[in-house]
Amino acid sequence: MSRVVRVAVALALTAGARVAAAQGARGGEAATRALLARAEALQAQLARQDSVARQARYAELRARRFDAGDLTVLLPAAVGEVTGRRIATGAWAYLDTLGAIPAGYVRSLVAVAYEATERDSVTSAEGLQHRTRVMVEVPAHPDTLADGWTVAIEIARAYVDTLDADWRAWLPFDLGIGWKHGREDAAALRDLAAAATRTGSECLGGTAAGCRLWLGLDRDPDPFASRYTVAEIRQVAAARPFYEYMGPVVTQCVGGSDEACLRFARSGQVRPVPASTSAIRSVLREVRVVHGADALRRALADTTGAIGQRLARAAGIGEDSLVREWREWLLTGGGGPRIAAGFREAMPVLVFGGLLLLAAARSGRWR
Amino acid sequence: MYRQVLKAQWLAARLPVVLLAVLGFALPLLTVTFGGNVADAPVERVGQWLLAAQQVGVLIPGLALLSGLLLGIAAWAPDHAAKHVYALSLPVPRAMFVLLRFAAGATLLAVPVVALGAGALVATLAVSLPDGVHAYPVQLTVRFAMASIVCFAIFFAISIATSRAALATLGVICGVLLADLVIGSLNIKDAASVTTTVFYLLTTWPGPLSILVGRWALFDV
Repeated sequence: MSRVVRVAVALALTAGARVAAAQGARGGEAATRALLARAEALQAQLARQDSVARQARYAELRARRFDAGDLTVLLPAAVGEVTGRRIATGAWAYLDTLGAIPAGYVRSLVAVAYEATERDSVTSAEGLQHRTRVMVEVPAHPDTLADGWTVAIEIARAYVDTLDADWRAWLPFDLGIGWKHGREDAAALRDLAAAATRTGSECLGGTAAGCRLWLGLDRDPDPFASRYTVAEIRQVAAARPFYEYMGPVVTQCVGGSDEACLRFARSGQVRPVPASTSAIRSVLREVRVVHGADALRRALADTTGAIGQRLARAAGIGEDSLVREWREWLLTGGGGPRIAAGFREAMPVLVFGGLLLLAAARSGRWR
Repeated sequence: MYRQVLKAQWLAARLPVVLLAVLGFALPLLTVTFGGNVADAPVERVGQWLLAAQQVGVLIPGLALLSGLLLGIAAWAPDHAAKHVYALSLPVPRAMFVLLRFAAGATLLAVPVVALGAGALVATLAVSLPDGVHAYPVQLTVRFAMASIVCFAIFFAISIATSRAALATLGVICGVLLADLVIGSLNIKDAASVTTTVFYLLTTWPGPLSILVGRWALFDV
């Protein structure tokens, strides 16, 4: 008998018993008591079954350790051996490919799934009690989504939180993990080409100072005044829905007060860095690809000077050279030549053309 | 012998050749219509101009495909019309005749290539470029020539192929599509698409059609 049917029977019996009791018939009291006893017995049985089911589920969710590289992950046992390994290996592959997070830091952590139970006892039993816990989510559909990306992202987020305020303000939370070549660099290029700010346009036009301002690489005492024009800030304010009701600063800004616009921007209504997150991710990617993982790791460990200076120092070039290099890397889709027409391109043409000529010579309708 | 074949081919294909030459000359000049003095233009226009140049560049491999198609078919059109009597009456081996036809077609192909080169040169001389932006007229012309030769070779071979060869080619294409349908209907996890794989192999170096994809902009960084 299913749970639903049992509950229905129990409720029906309880209701029947109450009706019978309400009738006040003396002869019915025995029957009523029997019915109540039966209902209580069924309820107790149901509670026992629920308890067993809960215990079984609890055991299924018991934390289980998976290791890959320097990474340790505790996942619910229910995800299974194969999926668990895939999550841990995938997460480590993401972190290792980026290479920006020191191995020592990854070793000092243990990624723990929110869903996992008995986390304390398992971490103690596995000797992981001294490691910092990073809580992660197991994807809803482990078979299709468990490539470890969510785990790697949380570790990147935790690492960014350990960096100084300048990095925390500038870095994307995911450090550019899982960069999709061809898709994300195209998005970053689109953002640059369609930049609605003067600094973005200057950057696209080839001015290194414009790129530094657009990307927010300099440490400006008043970033809104240097990275935006007042007209741009006013445009942002005017684009807010129902801006008329957002207070005097916004209405004064839209009405023409430059000072009000700067106050509006400084109140957190405008992003201090005009560049999109894609563009910032592309800077990290460029440093990683062109100068290597060590350079990115060195830059993130550096706490001296502005973001641009740190990146340039780690790359071993000047700041302007770095932004020019990034701009060219982005515009050329990864640094490749714009139009290639050399021996490499000619070789397949000659081979394929020759083969087709040979085929044409050996086959013909008038043979 | 080559001159006679070239002359016969020119008479059969002169209209497409002239048309392709006009298109080849005009295409690079399209970029200039977005503005000639980019060096002094506002910086935001440089980005729009570069994107426009890239969009025009996309049309150039299309022109290479069209050139190969028209000249490849035109190379054998008179022979098909005359039931190959002319070819059979010539005192040359068949392979030599095919070679002569190919060489004549390739020579005619040089007309749109030269026209495109001239158009690219004129367009380059007509604009003043800002720092960081360069013109690539020679690379563009050479790449167009290579792409045209590939397309010409394909359609040249298809035009002279026997019915059996044409059926075999069609069969392979249908087989690839059918394989994709079967794999799709089986709902196999992580199964690769056959069509996508074949397309990838053909259009990625050293694939024969890799020359058609990639960058084609006359003006670029």
